[in-house]
Amino acid sequence: MEKQKNYEAYLKSTHRLGRIVSMITLVLLVGAPFMIGTLLGAGPDLGAVARGFLSVGLVWTVSSVVEFLVYTPMLGAGGSYLAFITGNLINMKIPCAMNAKELVDAKSGTAENEVIATLSIATSALVTIVVLALGVVLLIPLQPVLQSPVLAPAFANVVPALFGAMAYKYYRKDPLLALIPLTVMIILFTLVPSLTSSTSFMIIPAGALAIALAWVKYRRETKGAAE
Amino acid sequence: MSVLEQLNGGGVYLICGSIVAFIAVVCVIFMVRAWRAGKALGMDVTRMKRAVTASATFSVLPSVGILLGVLALSGSLGVPWPWLRLSVIGALHYETQVADAAAEQLGVSLGSGQMTAQAFPTIALLMSICIMWGMILSTLFNKKYLYRLQQGGKKETRTGGGFGDKAMAAMFIGMVSAYIGSYVGGWISGGGLFSFSGSWTPLAVVAAAALAMAVFTYFSEKKGMAWLDNFSIAGSMLVGMLAAVLIGH
Repeated sequence: MEKQKNYEAYLKSTHRLGRIVSMITLVLLVGAPFMIGTLLGAGPDLGAVARGFLSVGLVWTVSSVVEFLVYTPMLGAGGSYLAFITGNLINMKIPCAMNAKELVDAKSGTAENEVIATLSIATSALVTIVVLALGVVLLIPLQPVLQSPVLAPAFANVVPALFGAMAYKYYRKDPLLALIPLTVMIILFTLVPSLTSSTSFMIIPAGALAIALAWVKYRRETKGAAE
Repeated sequence: MSVLEQLNGGGVYLICGSIVAFIAVVCVIFMVRAWRAGKALGMDVTRMKRAVTASATFSVLPSVGILLGVLALSGSLGVPWPWLRLSVIGALHYETQVADAAAEQLGVSLGSGQMTAQAFPTIALLMSICIMWGMILSTLFNKKYLYRLQQGGKKETRTGGGFGDKAMAAMFIGMVSAYIGSYVGGWISGGGLFSFSGSWTPLAVVAAAALAMAVFTYFSEKKGMAWLDNFSIAGSMLVGMLAAVLIGH
């Protein structure tokens, strides 16, 4: 009884602490561009930010809602507050917490799971912070090399490099589903080359088309399974 | 002093470093509280230690992969900002794509020579705003959501997959298709309708990165080298970027 009372008090204070630090982090992260802008002698172009948000932000907003709904029950209170603050969810925090949970055989929704998930996410975030800090110290002497004209084409092609890697990762999940939006986009960009300057906006029709096709396929599969 | 040199200056390091330090302190506080709560609950200390050790070792390799992401973004955004974004809240695929979308709105590209004093705060602000929803949702609904799940005994219902997972994958397929479509269209019609005189470098970079990803996946899935997964995205990106350097020369 005493243990349960203590645990409930812990959960209550975890929610309070989680909310406070989430809000402080939010203010710091949104405030940092303004502070850096002051150092550079220029502020953000809020119109461009709004247009950028409408083109790509909505996609990531939907993604954030799904992540919140899916990961919060896995990580419990403390783990999820920390995970949403420290990021790198799918590529590190989630598998890390799941691994720790399995190792100590903690069951979902239990007090034990709450403790283990928080310990795991906090440890993982601290390791990343330390590795990146050490790496950044090592990167400082390399800056003249990184900014040399020889490497300029590499940094000008960061985005195609990312989408090449992601194309293999996602297209192989469902090549047929990928074929239609890819073909439609190739035709559109070929016939209207000026669209290239609005590529991020074109994510919306391409994403909508892919989701609609996935829905049709999903319905067909679930109907088939029901019969 | 160029904008990139300013972005690598002490002031920007101080701002970004302070935020990283704040998050590190938050992690330590959560960790100590969880440890104490575990002991108060009567949990075996050895098991808690095991969870901490396993999480630390698990996180080293992915963290090195994330560091490669800082390297990839440092040529256009400087070192401190990608360091902050990837230490806290961000993920490599997200940061690159949003930074590019913001640059597009400003009519600049993420190439190192094009960053301007106004472009950077705009790009940085969009990066911050687009990914803040997880924290906001957590602040507003975490307590209520977990309480409802506990009351309803529905803990597993949201984790079972269903159309949500498929929709997420489809959304990414659409996103990738839009970008690759633009590279193909740019090559075919970028220098005039069906002239095939546009730049083919982005397409070659896409192909090199995809090929590298295929190699990573093969070794990770077929040869039992699952640890390679930690480097697959960042490593493939570096291969694609290397292809751009080779083509450029």
